[in-house]
Amino acid sequence: MINSILLVDDENLFHLIFEDACNLLNITLSLKSLNSAEKAEDYFKDIVAKLKKRPDCVFVDLNIIGSAFDGVELIRKINYEYGDNVVIGIISSSDDQFEQSKALKAGAQFWMVKTDEIEPRLQQFKNDFPKYVNRTQNFTVYK
Amino acid sequence: MIKIDESTRKQLLDCYKDNEIVLEGHILKLIESTGDQEFDLYLKEAIEKDALVRRKRIDEFKLVQTQNVQLQKSEKENEEIKKRLRDALTTAEQAKNLALGDLEELQKRSQVELIGTIVRVSLWIVCGVGIITTALFGISLFTGVDNKIIESAWSNMFGILLTNSFSIIGTIMGVKYATGGKKEKRCCKCDD
Repeated sequence: MINSILLVDDENLFHLIFEDACNLLNITLSLKSLNSAEKAEDYFKDIVAKLKKRPDCVFVDLNIIGSAFDGVELIRKINYEYGDNVVIGIISSSDDQFEQSKALKAGAQFWMVKTDEIEPRLQQFKNDFPKYVNRTQNFTVYK
Repeated sequence: MIKIDESTRKQLLDCYKDNEIVLEGHILKLIESTGDQEFDLYLKEAIEKDALVRRKRIDEFKLVQTQNVQLQKSEKENEEIKKRLRDALTTAEQAKNLALGDLEELQKRSQVELIGTIVRVSLWIVCGVGIITTALFGISLFTGVDNKIIESAWSNMFGILLTNSFSIIGTIMGVKYATGGKKEKRCCKCDD
């Protein structure tokens, strides 16, 4: 089980679904959901930097509507400014290979395609998670 | 893991029995089993109930997503149909305008042709009458037959012809001007 997950997605309804899926699959008991890139940045600035307590895994939406920057930029910021050993990746309805290569360059470790059938992908991710932690898993697209 | 003491256990079980209210959420997975069959059953049912609610929510979300996709598809189809209807309407309007223009032109042309025919026939009649009367008058002059009636008829007829010829020429000129003007207008359109 993953100790804590942070989800950054502008769709509030998806927060609930993601939490339900995580609960049903016993992925984590601690899930925090934020709906903007700025809030995520503030979260890392205030909590992570001060308390030295960071989430084990971060799922970031590619297009966070209403935010000043997109998911790839947020991953870059988290990776280079705060996220030491954080497993981080994109969760998006897009399956664009160009965006995937951009995310990979920014430091994303995985890409999960967000559709209504999210559970099998999350189960697969759960199985791969230990390999992400010890950095032996290559960039994977779950679709 | 969280251990539940006897008093809390009793309160939780009573709450379930009386009001069918159970604990829900992640906390259920952190409560340690006491080995008590009744409380273990309570925990099992609470976890199942919680999972059922979550499953229901996920299924509803899937349904909403599917409906959204269908809605977007229908919207796209509607837009396509609307566009086709608009195109068809524009084409019909153009065809109608073209047909009306053709009809108007046809009517004008037939009117002009009719006037032209009338003028031509009138011209033939006038010329015919003039030639016949002149011929008769000439014959009467050469043969020496009494030509008083023919002479007066000839001079009357030429007087009338002279008077009416202006109106005939006017009509001919009018017809020519009308048909000539139309042709010029068409040329202008062609140039555009």
